[in-house]
Amino acid sequence: MTRTLLRPRTLGLVLLGLLILGFPYFNTMFEFMSGWPVLGWLLDPFRVFQAMRFGVWLIVLMGLNLLTGYNGQISLGYAAFVAVGAYVAAILMTQYGVHVIPAVVAAGAFTGVVGFLVGAPALRLSGPYLAIATLALVIALPQVLKHDLVSDWTHASQGINFYEQGTPPVTPGVLEDRVATNQWLYYCAIVPAVIMTVLAWNITRSRMGRAFLAVRDTELGAEHMGVNVALYKMTAFGISSFYAGIGGALFVFTEAVLGPSTFDVMMSITMLVMIVLGGLASILGSIFAAAIMALRVDIVDKVVNLIPRGEEFRIDSLRGAIYGSLLVISVIAGPWGLAGGLRRLPRIRDRLVAGKFRFLGVSGMVYTAVRPFLLRRLRGAKSADPSRQGGTEARDEPHQEGGDTHRR
Amino acid sequence: MGEFIQQVAIGLATGSIYALLALAIVLIYRSTEVVNFAQGEMAMLGTFIAWSFLNQFGYWQAFILGIIAAALLGGALERVLLRPVEEGPVLNPVILTIGLFTVLNSVALWLYGGDPKPFPAAPPFRGGPLEVGSVVISRANVGVFCTAVVLMVILYVLFNYTKIGLAMRGTALNRTAARLVGIRAGQMLTLGWALSAGVGAIAGMLAAPVVALSTNMMFAVILFAFAGAVLGGLTSPMGAILGGLMLGVIQNLAATYNPTSSPIDLPVAFLVIIAVLMIRPTGLLGKRAVRKV
Repeated sequence: MTRTLLRPRTLGLVLLGLLILGFPYFNTMFEFMSGWPVLGWLLDPFRVFQAMRFGVWLIVLMGLNLLTGYNGQISLGYAAFVAVGAYVAAILMTQYGVHVIPAVVAAGAFTGVVGFLVGAPALRLSGPYLAIATLALVIALPQVLKHDLVSDWTHASQGINFYEQGTPPVTPGVLEDRVATNQWLYYCAIVPAVIMTVLAWNITRSRMGRAFLAVRDTELGAEHMGVNVALYKMTAFGISSFYAGIGGALFVFTEAVLGPSTFDVMMSITMLVMIVLGGLASILGSIFAAAIMALRVDIVDKVVNLIPRGEEFRIDSLRGAIYGSLLVISVIAGPWGLAGGLRRLPRIRDRLVAGKFRFLGVSGMVYTAVRPFLLRRLRGAKSADPSRQGGTEARDEPHQEGGDTHRR
Repeated sequence: MGEFIQQVAIGLATGSIYALLALAIVLIYRSTEVVNFAQGEMAMLGTFIAWSFLNQFGYWQAFILGIIAAALLGGALERVLLRPVEEGPVLNPVILTIGLFTVLNSVALWLYGGDPKPFPAAPPFRGGPLEVGSVVISRANVGVFCTAVVLMVILYVLFNYTKIGLAMRGTALNRTAARLVGIRAGQMLTLGWALSAGVGAIAGMLAAPVVALSTNMMFAVILFAFAGAVLGGLTSPMGAILGGLMLGVIQNLAATYNPTSSPIDLPVAFLVIIAVLMIRPTGLLGKRAVRKV
């Protein structure tokens, strides 16, 4: 027993678990650290709220990554499924007095079934045709939600205000004096997030996950190996919608008001952008994606503050430009997303030293500028580590195309 | 019946704006297989540039300058930003154009401010509405429609009867093979983007008198232009025009003849698109992509 516990992997997981569980209490426990550079930032009480949003986004983006990253079906209509989950959960809780847990599970299951069925007509479509057909769902959604036939449930354009119409999600009686409401909400989001992450980890490493990848890489090949392409494509739609439903249901807590325009085209597009930045077809990538999603306003704020502001130079109206440029730069600089970049780090270092990188455009200019400096650093590091010297390039090259799980 | 024809005519008028922008989208898709989300913003910026020339020059000079500026911008964007991501994962160019969308929109807002600007219609299309029988339609809309048709014919001729058109089609079909027979594939891609940005700018300048020139004039239009392009088939310029027009008409008819008490034009329009895609997965006139295994 003790030996199992002391294994690095187990120990790491236990530590991570403690970190996640204790996070909302750290700001009071480690108050003396609040002035410290990085830790101080983490200990701001606002981070608990942000961590809650991170948890919700993690579930949502994980689902999209299963569909788009693992199964290769590009969906611009994912926000519509999130909306379905959110509305089902909110209606169940505010109008039928259903308890939180069954409401969230029901929302997930319902959305999953809807997604599985939507997956059927999507079978014939691929690439941009599929993307635009799914985009149709999210464009048509507001008018459907506002339609008179359903307005008794959805309250048309007023939307559903969960905190006014429903029971606010207060801490259950037993824990009332130990757990504050915002801490309780954090657990409401983070516990499902952990469960769904473990689930996704297991799905992607099972027969089903391998089938998803095979269908993405070559449909014909997968079919010849006996994979039921249609079934797995629909299943991918169903599972990702299940994630969207659960995530959407939890949105009810983070967004005070649920309206027909909460889930718009922009949200769909942003989610797709985030999973590409985080890393497609990767659990870690989804985690990065959720972190960027939850922190993106902060990140843009930080960059805006770096630029000196004058009377004439209206920097605040350039926020969009800064956000967009960050997207452009990160796609050019790290085409495989954060998670892919991490995995490639050793190989990237070898290629940098060998001067084998081909950078084009803007990134090329930056690279030429920093290369001498980089080389000095890397060569120094390399000669100190003789085991890495020689042969690395020759060994890595053949993997270049074949080992690349992201390229399609 | 007169009412019906009138509604179809109004639908065609809206549809022709979608159609023009859809044409620009198809041009880029044909040459680089990138669905360009920044298309609408490129068109908007081109229109603003033409607007800023309107003070010094006449309408046509400003019109031409707007097209040239947009074409240069389009070519430069392809050469500097799109080229490096072409080799990576397929979604990256799309994400890049989404980033460009935000950048261009924000830059235009920064340069020109948020208030809508007046933009005149082209001289031949000014003046009161036209009346054909019982149907009344504005001249600006007729202008958009005619331009869309003329542009389509020009592009058809360019692609099918000129050497440059052949080279562009070759590059789109198989880049390596095109290079082997001596086509400068890189230049063709840049040219494709420049051409498309030029067409987009024309769309913007013709739409500006109808929808008012502002930084978010293309927000709604671009989504319908995408839908129209997909409906007609992303590889076919003729399909883009047809798809855009159809979408405008369907949307308008669904809004007019609505049996229920609240608007349903968007769900109906998109149900039609999905139904069409079910029967023809590559759009009405799109060629089925043949993949070698």
